[in-house]
Amino acid sequence: MMSAHSLPPGQGQTAALWAGSLLKQYKNTDQPALNNFSLEVRQGEFFGLLGPNGAGKTTVISIFSGLMPPDSGTVRVMDMNFREKHNEIKHILGLAPQEIGLYNKLTASENLAFFGRLFGIKGKKLTERIRQKLEFVSLAEHAARPVSTFSYGMKRRLNLAAGLLNDPQVLVLDEPCVGIDAQSRNLIHEQLKELNRRGTTILYTTHYMEEAQELCSRICIMDNGRLVEQGPPATLLRESGMPNLEDLFLHLTGKELRDP
Amino acid sequence: MLKIITATAKELLLLRRDRAGLLILFLMPAILVVVITLVQENVMELTGQKKTRVVFLDLDQGDLGQILRRQLAKGNLRIEAWDGKQKDMADIREAVQDGDYQVGIVMPQDSSLRFKQEAAQLLQQNNNGETGDKSAGPTLVQVFFDPLLMAGLRAGITAQLQMALATMAMQAKLEALDRVQQEALAALPAGQELLPLARLNLPELVKQPLLSLQENQDFLPSAGTVPHNPVQQNVPAWALFGMFFTAIPIAGALIQERNSGIWVRLRVLPVSPLVLFGGKALAYIVVCLCQFLLIALIGAYLFPYVGLPAFTISMHLPAVLLTVLCSGLAATGYGIFLGLACNSYEQASTVGATTVVTAAAIGGVMVPVYAMPPMMQRLSIISPLNWGLSAFHDLILRGDALPAILDDLGRLLLFFAVTTLLAWKLAGRRHSRF
Repeated sequence: MMSAHSLPPGQGQTAALWAGSLLKQYKNTDQPALNNFSLEVRQGEFFGLLGPNGAGKTTVISIFSGLMPPDSGTVRVMDMNFREKHNEIKHILGLAPQEIGLYNKLTASENLAFFGRLFGIKGKKLTERIRQKLEFVSLAEHAARPVSTFSYGMKRRLNLAAGLLNDPQVLVLDEPCVGIDAQSRNLIHEQLKELNRRGTTILYTTHYMEEAQELCSRICIMDNGRLVEQGPPATLLRESGMPNLEDLFLHLTGKELRDP
Repeated sequence: MLKIITATAKELLLLRRDRAGLLILFLMPAILVVVITLVQENVMELTGQKKTRVVFLDLDQGDLGQILRRQLAKGNLRIEAWDGKQKDMADIREAVQDGDYQVGIVMPQDSSLRFKQEAAQLLQQNNNGETGDKSAGPTLVQVFFDPLLMAGLRAGITAQLQMALATMAMQAKLEALDRVQQEALAALPAGQELLPLARLNLPELVKQPLLSLQENQDFLPSAGTVPHNPVQQNVPAWALFGMFFTAIPIAGALIQERNSGIWVRLRVLPVSPLVLFGGKALAYIVVCLCQFLLIALIGAYLFPYVGLPAFTISMHLPAVLLTVLCSGLAATGYGIFLGLACNSYEQASTVGATTVVTAAAIGGVMVPVYAMPPMMQRLSIISPLNWGLSAFHDLILRGDALPAILDDLGRLLLFFAVTTLLAWKLAGRRHSRF
């Protein structure tokens, strides 16, 4: 297994996402959310970030998305840091938040048009991009329907489409399949694999171990703000002797409940 | 620029889809303006609420001014005396014009001396059986009224002043008469009796004016303005109230964005929160303009049908629109701030409604500021609704032009800037993670 420290950016292939010795502590908390946390997601990887509630996953993807800075440590996205290239990073980064980030009263295409224009896409290019993304998530025939009339699975798919509008090089997905039916989940999985095949780096958080095993080329298990284990799922299972990721996860993070 | 237009278009689209919300935004101030104006129509005209602030400038420095002040102090007036050596007519005109006082009274120079001479001369003429006015005429006491003063209150104060002057004149005539009688009695030989009043025409003597009130016409409402009445007070006041109520739906929209994944998505887009705030502000300023237009049209065309005077806008229409714009900005800035400062829609709607109603109350929307207790009058200057209302009153009632309202507009813009910047700061802290 490799440590993130062993591959700093600039050595070999540029890391898509790189974090070195991150420290983050929220106000009024005893324990740091991230404690000397380091991680590398290589270009073209489908990387799974796993951990129990409160492990620090949300903090990691918030920092990688530029939503908040770490208290200390270094963050790089495609070898750029937020302090110097904030806007450039935002243009190459896509995001599908866990909460549906869409306006219910707008139609599917109006939602995408709004977010697309904020990316600076306009005119025919925008129209084409919207059509393309709606087709990608099998919602083209529902383009003119208000989002409020969508099922949860449709909203999740549209949520993903909104995150793909800028054709991101790095896509951050926060539990994109939570609470949806098998058909929608299957479609999202297939399309994410396709995106990854085309070269998009994906950082994926999930609580579903079978999902991580199916999709991710590498995973990282974190707990209490620290990286506990990382590597390809098959390698981790082989080395640990565990029959599946769920057992490995419980073995590494314990069985006690993580109520906040 | 494209992004701000995009954000504005999105807000307008969302507004268009929220018909219930829109209906409340327009219906609420429309109903309030009709109901409150009808309610206040009689009340405000008939009641002289609280003590009226009067400034008294005694350029004469004689007995007459002191007597008049004593007479007026018996009524519902709070009189402040100005030193005639330090202030002049222009100062009092400015103080009343600016609304610092509702009434200004000026006792002209040498009034006391002239008054006494006139009283003696009048009696002499009367005693000599002369008719017709050969005197220099009554002493004119100048009075200034704030253009915002309600018609009923103005009439009451005028009557009170005239009564005081008539009393003083009668007293002076009777004193002069007494002097003449005493002199006549003293001049008679012992034992001879004379009716000293035999040659006097008393009805004529009483009728002759010695003191008269002259309303200063310098700043009576000019062309394009109309005298103060509940309609002129209520239309801009309730339009402003409606505008500031837009703070609640703005805050609600922001909280909805924050509580869903929209805010997170927007934060990772290459766009500043200030652009998004700008989009919201522009969209809701359009709403504010429509609100003002609706209320103004109701005032102008519906009010006459329900027995109220028609609302008349001043000739300074661009300045009025600029005031609407600045008030709209202040309202949207406050809404954006609320949307970032509050944690839930329930919290924002409670805080928003309470603060807007309170700001409206202390700002003079419900009761004119001059009718409030002194403490509330001092407090009114912190209300953004007071700044907007003051600007509207200056334009619509005082007939002022843009330069006169620049301070109020400046305050409204500063309020917008401060609330938006605070919201921007909060945006950096709030929901900065998934």
